[in-house]
Amino acid sequence: MTANDGKGPPLRVGEVRFSYGKTRAVDGVSFEVAAGEIFGLLGPNGAGKTTTISMISGLLTPESGQVLIFGGEASGASGAARARMGVVPQEVALYDELSAAENLRFWGQLYGLRGAALQDAVRQALGLVGLTDRRNEKVGKLSGGLKRRLNLAVGLVHGPALLLLDEPTVGIDPQARLHILEVVRDQAKAGCAVLYTSHYLEEAEQICDRLAIVDHGRVLAAGTVAELRRLVGEGPVVQLRGEVDADRLKALAGRCPGVGLLSCADGTASFSARDAAACSGLVRELFQAGLKLEDLRVQEPNLQSLFLKLTGRELRD
Amino acid sequence: MRAILILTLKDLRRRLADPAGLLLNLAIPLVMGAMMYLAFGGRGGDTNAAPVLRILVLDLDQGPVARAITGASGNPEAARRLDMRLVQSREEGLRRLREEEFAALLVLPEGFSKALLDRRQVELELLKNPAQTVMPIVAQQITEVLSLYLSIGARIVGDDGARIRVLFEGEGWTDAAGIAALITSLRDRVIDMRDLLFPPLIEVEKTSAKKDTGGFDLIAWLFPGMVMMGLLFTSVSQMGDLLRESQQGTLRRQLTAPLGAAQVVMAKVLSVAIVVAIAFCLLVAAGRLAFRIHWGALGPLAATGALVVLAATGFAALLFSLVRTERQGDALGGILTMLMSLLGGTFFPIEALPAWMEPLSKLMLSRWGHGALRILAEGGGWEAVSGHLAVLAGIALVCTALGVAFLGRRHLRGAL
Repeated sequence: MTANDGKGPPLRVGEVRFSYGKTRAVDGVSFEVAAGEIFGLLGPNGAGKTTTISMISGLLTPESGQVLIFGGEASGASGAARARMGVVPQEVALYDELSAAENLRFWGQLYGLRGAALQDAVRQALGLVGLTDRRNEKVGKLSGGLKRRLNLAVGLVHGPALLLLDEPTVGIDPQARLHILEVVRDQAKAGCAVLYTSHYLEEAEQICDRLAIVDHGRVLAAGTVAELRRLVGEGPVVQLRGEVDADRLKALAGRCPGVGLLSCADGTASFSARDAAACSGLVRELFQAGLKLEDLRVQEPNLQSLFLKLTGRELRD
Repeated sequence: MRAILILTLKDLRRRLADPAGLLLNLAIPLVMGAMMYLAFGGRGGDTNAAPVLRILVLDLDQGPVARAITGASGNPEAARRLDMRLVQSREEGLRRLREEEFAALLVLPEGFSKALLDRRQVELELLKNPAQTVMPIVAQQITEVLSLYLSIGARIVGDDGARIRVLFEGEGWTDAAGIAALITSLRDRVIDMRDLLFPPLIEVEKTSAKKDTGGFDLIAWLFPGMVMMGLLFTSVSQMGDLLRESQQGTLRRQLTAPLGAAQVVMAKVLSVAIVVAIAFCLLVAAGRLAFRIHWGALGPLAATGALVVLAATGFAALLFSLVRTERQGDALGGILTMLMSLLGGTFFPIEALPAWMEPLSKLMLSRWGHGALRILAEGGGWEAVSGHLAVLAGIALVCTALGVAFLGRRHLRGAL
């Protein structure tokens, strides 16, 4: 297959596997990202998200499976495929000694831009992330949030058709996060295919058109946010903290019609309820049982509850 | 090729934006060279700059021989080497010895001339300044040589010594026949000694060498070693940037762009080589301007510079292909640089090493690098330096090839 025949979708990942020594980091992950779509890989640290992105960006070669970028193989020296791809790594991969504009100029040049086209691209990228006024400042002097924005701009400077974002909002303030999410949305609206990894549930729900929940290198569930929510059920989720005992709570759930125990560990437990009535019955049973509870919450089903249901544990930062 | 150029220029821009590290590397050999320059009172080969022997003389004799000795400082040639001051008493001599940094106090005892001309044994007393190390020994040796020559002179004069002493005391000048007989006798003695003294078996030929190229020049010997050490430190610190980039993620980011790992590694090697070449030019210029070292013709110097730079860069590339972190590389690089400098003869001649270390010394990059530069500084040309250049070329080729290959393998393993 040619490096880029332009016939396939921007990104197709099929059954890829990769191990670090004896540790299997990615175990048969498959998904596809269409043009103009934001696809999220959601999972805790160590789930295999970064390894997956490394295989897509050509840094690692899959042991098995296939990564196709616009129909061409990603691994090997497929320069044409890489030229259409923008990568924003988890770390702020910039040169502190150079200014914001110099950084963008360098990365733009690496992607083949030159002359007026390069100057235009640098100007546009700076404008996109709101750094026009700081263009001549050394990166080392910028705040963490501004560095993150520039990190994103570097991935966009050459106008990629496929954008890989590996946790681009880690460790920044809410304002900078919102700005970055806005830029990503605008890119997708402009037709760019975006692969977005995160372990922030709210962020993923907010920005992604479709999601894959990954853990231990496997895709546990995939679909739109609505489809994933339905996997948990339509009813609310009851979460409690306190003196909890798995056997006792299991028996208690059995006495309540339409209630199931999702998880029970480390002093916390979660139940799924079929509807409001089932939820009321569960709460009543909990108080009647005389459990010493420190906290009790009733929530609408969300990705957190789905993750709980799928893995039996909470997705934390 | 364009990608390599872009990557190289990026590194050079970064160095220019923050040149502190590079300047620090260059400062090490320059400071060491300057310290040596000051410690040895300038260029080792410049005889005009040799230190002057400052000596005090207490003449208790006041006789003809003592006057001949104290009058020696009136000789213009001797005056350039010897600063001789008369003192009136032992106390004054000891005080000035302490306070005015004289090397020694020579005491010519009372009756010295009389005893010597009468061929009786006599003693010279030399009090050395304990606060000094070298010059008092020089004073002692000169006094010993003086004693030897005076003894020989007294023996040549023989029985006429007493008559000579009387003449010097101002008596006997009316006896013209006696004086004539004395002169004839002395002439005969000298003629008798002719076969013994002339022609001398050893002659010292004194020629005027071209300025700045004659004799052993300590700075010209030491400074090339400093240059080589500075280049190795520079190459190691600059090559560390490869792992620094790996650590901060810019290297991985580059590898997601449409270019190969070989281009990235080659660009890094090239940028390091350019910085090391700049360092070489600055150090060579500093050697010329500050220490007046002549590096010879441009051709051999340029070839030596190019190969020294490539060898130092290759060494650094190989080193950083084997270590895991920049800190490890810096530490190991520093140790290896010092080890190579010591075994390679940067600080002392290789001949001073134990015999079993000699083969080991041949493996040291420093030896061939500063060896070539020393040859040039001593006036050697293409022919003299070609052997060193061949070894340097081999080291550069092997180290760079291995370094690039190992770094490429690390990239394939995802370890860069």
